[in-house]
Amino acid sequence: MERRRIDDYEPGPVPSPRAVDKFGFVKQEQTGSPEGAIKSRMTLKEWSKSVSTLLINLYNFLFAVDINIFREERRVRKWRKMIGVGGSDWKHYVRRRPQVVKRRVRKGIPDCLRGLVWQLISGSRDLLLMNPGVYERHGPGQRSLYNVLKAYSVYDRDVGYVQGMGFLAGLLLLYMSEEDAFWLMVALLKGAVHAPMEGLYQVGLPLVQQYLFQFDHLVREHLPKLGEHFTKEMINPSMYASQWFITVFSYSFPFHLALRIWDVFLFEGVKIVFKVGLALLKYCHDDLVKLPFEKLIHALRNFPEHAMDPDTLLPMAYSIKVSRRLEELKHEYERKNEKSVQSVESNGKELQ
Amino acid sequence: MARPGNKIIQAKLVLLGDMGTGKTSLVLRFIKGQFYDHQEPTIGAAFFTQILSLTEATVKFDIWDTAGQERYHSLAPMYYRGAAAAVVVYDISSTDTFNRAKKWVQELHRQGNQNLVMALVGNKSDLNSHREVEAEEAEQFAQESGMFYMETSAKTAQNINELFYEIAKRLARISPPRSSGITLNHETPDKRRRFCCIG
Ligand SMILES: Nc1nc2c(ncn2[C@@H]2O[C@H](COP(=O)(O)OP(=O)(O)O)[C@@H](O)[C@H]2O)c(=O)[nH]1
Ligand SMILES: [Mg+2]
Repeated sequence: MERRRIDDYEPGPVPSPRAVDKFGFVKQEQTGSPEGAIKSRMTLKEWSKSVSTLLINLYNFLFAVDINIFREERRVRKWRKMIGVGGSDWKHYVRRRPQVVKRRVRKGIPDCLRGLVWQLISGSRDLLLMNPGVYERHGPGQRSLYNVLKAYSVYDRDVGYVQGMGFLAGLLLLYMSEEDAFWLMVALLKGAVHAPMEGLYQVGLPLVQQYLFQFDHLVREHLPKLGEHFTKEMINPSMYASQWFITVFSYSFPFHLALRIWDVFLFEGVKIVFKVGLALLKYCHDDLVKLPFEKLIHALRNFPEHAMDPDTLLPMAYSIKVSRRLEELKHEYERKNEKSVQSVESNGKELQ
Repeated sequence: MARPGNKIIQAKLVLLGDMGTGKTSLVLRFIKGQFYDHQEPTIGAAFFTQILSLTEATVKFDIWDTAGQERYHSLAPMYYRGAAAAVVVYDISSTDTFNRAKKWVQELHRQGNQNLVMALVGNKSDLNSHREVEAEEAEQFAQESGMFYMETSAKTAQNINELFYEIAKRLARISPPRSSGITLNHETPDKRRRFCCIG
């Protein structure tokens, strides 16, 4: 909330060295002097009023900055303590107080520690340490994205390079070196901590199919009215949700939201993708149930700005419980698949 | 919008073809009149709508632009199922993409929709100096496969509107004749066949 106030506030003519947002982007400073703002037509009364408004705004602004910086610093201190030097205390802390870690991750990892923490929670740090020299650089450093993807496709020839991976690698490269990003990809796809994700990219996209099946059912269970509307309008999740899963919201979602989702995704696994998906549908539910096919598809691929505010969307997502049903639906999907595989074999026909 | 007394055709159109052949660029050129040298890859599929008015009908296109990479193949049937028109795209400067286009055509034939309007599109005609696929060869393949053939360039906009007008005309020709003036909006949603033609 405080952050939003700062972002919205225009510092105007007052030089404010702290007027940068969380990502270090300096807010555009207004050119022109205070006098310039005072039109000659302005009366003295109007002028003093505008000056006092300016001062009040300035105080509000500085206060908000202070509070924000103070909280941010306190948060970073807590995180540093939790991680230890170079991540040395991390495992110990997670084992002892998993709930505390979970709560802090859900509030968002401080940006200055995000790169390191992502590597710690995905388990990629260990992979890197255990495999010195496996990652080889290909060509000059500017082509980081290409290098990481190329290295991965060489490392894992079965999966190779698949469109969509680039978005994962791109996001990781913002927070870590090529080699670290490479190992984080390995940790995710091969399943160092959570279930392996490689099925998202293997031939037939088996894991995408499974997730879409599960998501379809969850929508019907959590939002029955919308589920019915989808049936009537012949909408299914492959029309809007496949890229949510394939890129873990790193494709066509606002950057600050994607980061917050990734914090939780790395710590808790893929169920956050289902939760966020359901929360988006729930948030826009009353609009969505009114829309006909074309508008509906459009809406499902272009959620409004306010629906994608992490501080509203994520608490909503956390409150949706999916773990048990996901497990059950996975078994249901596997049973269904076994049957269809058998019938394909007996018919000798290809089933799409 | 619709001209009075004009029939309205709602048509699902799907774009198929290898990655990088310019499917997304074709659609964006048609809909927005824009072209990007660094078009970002399509994940899963993208959806667009566009309306074209002919004298004989107004065609409302629901366009599914698919991710072309082989790996995404298993998602494709979802998008071409029930389509009224399919545009199979290859890049005239790459034989590989032409071979892949042939595979798509075979797959569409296996689906057995007799009324499907199919176009074979050789895109990137501006790269004529790097041409690997001769127009005659493509033309012949298209004829044998019951499709019409066109060479386009999303970059220069050559033949882009012509392509979609030709598809619209063919859809209008095969859509069942009905008394004019029936619009989509008057039909109840559950009666509506959105992926096919409504005359
Ligand atoms: N020279 C040329 N380049 C094109 C043309 N159409 C697309 N491209 C480029 O080819 C690349 C792939 O295009 P894209 O639309 O993403 O292909 P898609 O994977 O089939 O959707 C992009 O870099 C485009 O800028 C064209 O007509 N001429
Ligand atoms: Mg594309």
